[in-house]
Amino acid sequence: MSDANVHLLRSCAHWILFVSCVALVPPLCLGIIRKTKARLQNRVGPPLLQPLFDIFKLCRKGETLSSTMSGAFRISTVVVLATMLVLAWMTPWLSFKPWSPNADLFLIVYLFALARVFSLLGALDSGSAFGAFGASREVTLGLLVEPALLLGLVALGLFSGTSDLRLIFAYHQIQAPGASCIPGIWLLVGVSILLSSLVELSRMPVDDPTTHLELTMVHEAMVLEASGRNLALIEFSHALRMSIFFGLAAQCFVHAAAAVWRMNALTHGLLNIFGICLIAVSVGVLESLSVKLQWRKVPEFVAYVVSMSLLAAFVAAGSGVAKL
Amino acid sequence: MNAAVIFWGTIVFLALAALAAFVLSHKKNVSNKVMSFLLCAIAAGSLSALCSTGFHSYTYVTPAPFLLGVFPVTFRLDGLSRLFSALLSLILFSTGLFSPGYLNHLKGKISFGQYWVSFFLFALSMYGVVLSADAITFIVMWEIMSLSSAALVASDHSHHLVQKSALIYLGATRIASGLLCGGFLWMHSLCGSWTFSDWNFASAQAIFPALLIILGFCIKAGVWPFHIWLPYAHPAAPATVSAIMSGFMIKVPIYGLVRILVQGGLSAPEIVNLAFILGSVSAFWGVLFALVQNDLKRLLAYSSIENIGLILLALAIALKARAANLPVVADIAMTAALFHCLNHGLVKSLLFFSAGAVDCQAHTRDLHKLGGLARRMPWTMASFFIGSFSICSIPPLNGFASKWLIYQSLFQSTMLFGSYIEKGIALATICLLSAVGALAIATFVKVMGVGFLGMSRSHAAEHAQEASTGIKISQGFLVVLCAGLGVFASHAVKFISQLSLMSPDSVAPATVEFPLPMPVLALMLFSTCLVIYLVFLQSSKVRIFKTWDCGFGALSTKTQASSESFAQPLARIFRPFLRYETNSTIKGRDRRHFPEEITVEVKIVSILESRIYLPVLAVISLIAKGLAKLQAGSIHLYLLYVCSTLVILLLLGTVL
Repeated sequence: MSDANVHLLRSCAHWILFVSCVALVPPLCLGIIRKTKARLQNRVGPPLLQPLFDIFKLCRKGETLSSTMSGAFRISTVVVLATMLVLAWMTPWLSFKPWSPNADLFLIVYLFALARVFSLLGALDSGSAFGAFGASREVTLGLLVEPALLLGLVALGLFSGTSDLRLIFAYHQIQAPGASCIPGIWLLVGVSILLSSLVELSRMPVDDPTTHLELTMVHEAMVLEASGRNLALIEFSHALRMSIFFGLAAQCFVHAAAAVWRMNALTHGLLNIFGICLIAVSVGVLESLSVKLQWRKVPEFVAYVVSMSLLAAFVAAGSGVAKL
Repeated sequence: MNAAVIFWGTIVFLALAALAAFVLSHKKNVSNKVMSFLLCAIAAGSLSALCSTGFHSYTYVTPAPFLLGVFPVTFRLDGLSRLFSALLSLILFSTGLFSPGYLNHLKGKISFGQYWVSFFLFALSMYGVVLSADAITFIVMWEIMSLSSAALVASDHSHHLVQKSALIYLGATRIASGLLCGGFLWMHSLCGSWTFSDWNFASAQAIFPALLIILGFCIKAGVWPFHIWLPYAHPAAPATVSAIMSGFMIKVPIYGLVRILVQGGLSAPEIVNLAFILGSVSAFWGVLFALVQNDLKRLLAYSSIENIGLILLALAIALKARAANLPVVADIAMTAALFHCLNHGLVKSLLFFSAGAVDCQAHTRDLHKLGGLARRMPWTMASFFIGSFSICSIPPLNGFASKWLIYQSLFQSTMLFGSYIEKGIALATICLLSAVGALAIATFVKVMGVGFLGMSRSHAAEHAQEASTGIKISQGFLVVLCAGLGVFASHAVKFISQLSLMSPDSVAPATVEFPLPMPVLALMLFSTCLVIYLVFLQSSKVRIFKTWDCGFGALSTKTQASSESFAQPLARIFRPFLRYETNSTIKGRDRRHFPEEITVEVKIVSILESRIYLPVLAVISLIAKGLAKLQAGSIHLYLLYVCSTLVILLLLGTVL
């Protein structure tokens, strides 16, 4: 076989692998969290892929829209999912990925902001107080968590000497000589991305997504008016956002491990998927054991995350590994 | 084409238009349509003339009879002034499209003759300021700009609030001009020339004139802590005027800073650090106060303070990097500052136009009385939303492109600066900028959600209709520009970076690259949206029902989140800065379950105004009252003053 053919085959395989991961990992993440919680409560729990079946079921149902709504509601759902798909394509949350353009870390953070803005508009469109209060809380969480996420990624960028996430998470960076303090930074950033994702995705300990009272919740309050296919799209984009965040955190941990233990690309990829699942399990355990924080205590919790990112960024800026 | 043709063409035409308006105002039948058409034509003419002159820089000195006193009028057309005049022409052109539809609703409230005279003088003076090459021409044009804009702010001068706003604005411009004159005189005595290109700020003595000049410019630009005139002047002025003032006039001081201080080789760390601190504080302060505003135009005014802060911050980074001999960072930051000027100018005009259209149709700018406009004014809503996304720096719009450059300059300075303190400061500023960005999102989501979505909160908002065609076209024009500058940001950035901004005579200006794949991204986003819509939502069965009301019966408009309640969780976090107080009282016999009357009052006091400016003003008016006794109205007393002054002067003359 000629080189061109091998290359074509390889990129085809990458696309197939990538698309199946985008379709399966998000519902799997949710499923693992639910299963873990069920097992810890001595229940059998739903099958692992139940979230996927739920989405199929929702797709067969009709939609109910409020008479107050303008077009903004349905458009927002579409834009949020489209942004998440583009983000999944650009962000290196998996070790294997088809070709993608420059995934600048500032661009990634602001694309998340794009998705957030549209989900907020969707929540406000019905004129329902539930949606508005959910949106108001979501915007507050966004303010708190965005600096933490951005600084975490900047810390990674600083010692790689670039703001392109593709290069930051490139496998060959690991073997860079003289990069002695790297595992520490990777670990710190991994933890801070994980913790900020708990806030960003409105999960415990910031918000309990499984209570029966929407008035107290963030994400569930915002999507209260969605139904049918609309809800299916929203649920899927939320799960996809979760797996992108978990994937980034898992990548950080795998990179930290790779600094002490050399591995080949296949192990790296498998470890990455395994890491995402492991993070989902630990989130499930966390949600079973912890209680929801009082709303006013949330800034304190986020302060820990921000200081962790700041520490990582200072270490990265001070380590002097910067090379241009 | 000769550059002189542009100066004289634009300026003479604008002066003629002002004259025409003046003559017609005596007959009391100034036609808004004719005047707007004139404005459009002049703006389009100057824009095409600018495009046809190529990249060379021209200097033009007026011949003998056309002097300002004994000084010739000197103009310079180079990269920097070309960029600013092009921005001005674009904004004036869209204002011309917007005016006829908008001004109708002010009929009977303002005198159109007066309005158009001031307006054309205002436009003329802004061209004059950005084209002037020496301090005398600059200050003359600057004064015409300040006074004509003050007259425009006072257009609707029958209201007490408008009078107060115009007075505050006039006071701010007087102090700014005073400081500038002081700085210019000082520089003239140091350098012996009025021409900007002869001024050198690298010497140690130049720190004080530089300080005077930067303070003067900061007051006019509305930088913290001198910003208080902005939130008064913008709501008082007609939307056309606020659009130009916010879109272009507050960028004129930025032009002045670049032309005089940056190109004059300023490197004193005290001044640069001052600009850095003022810039970052105003970015944060502006957006924080924007978040808690309830008047649409006042909110936009605070958002302008934020963006001016960002621009000043980028300028300070450029100066810092130049002093540290890091030309790469300096070029990125400088391009960021000017690109942000361009972007914010276009976006803010767009937002003020949309706010004006809302004001026209719903007869209010109060967010408590708006809502539900999305279905009644879809075009206005769409353009306001796109403007909001851009100002929140959402990709792939233009606001993101310039914000990215600012981030990138900070990121690069974190890597390249030698000292750890500088690295730490740059990191902290990245953190601050992301918080500012998130607050801007909160602010504009509030406006979009409360102002345009949901149920209408008043009768007027319920009966609003779509704005007229001219207004729609002007908004569409600016939307296209914003989206185009965002998607094709790499070309725009390359173009701006080549205008030789850091010093007027550098031979080969550096090229700043914008490496992000915005066209690919925009295309991917758009096509993915289209596919998702066609596959999933188009064919889905839809039932229209009411919003979930928990079974308590029909929802009233009061049950929606209001502007205050939406911002409350965030305002709570920043209570120390905002002095945010809520008082709620619930009355009734069994007040817990069956309240009869509930009142909630939210009070926000600006520390700066209540604690600093008001006491200072009180002291000044106290002194003024004391001084007023001198003017007793008695001719004998005045003759005594004259006589004693004469004696004192004669005595002084003999002594000295």
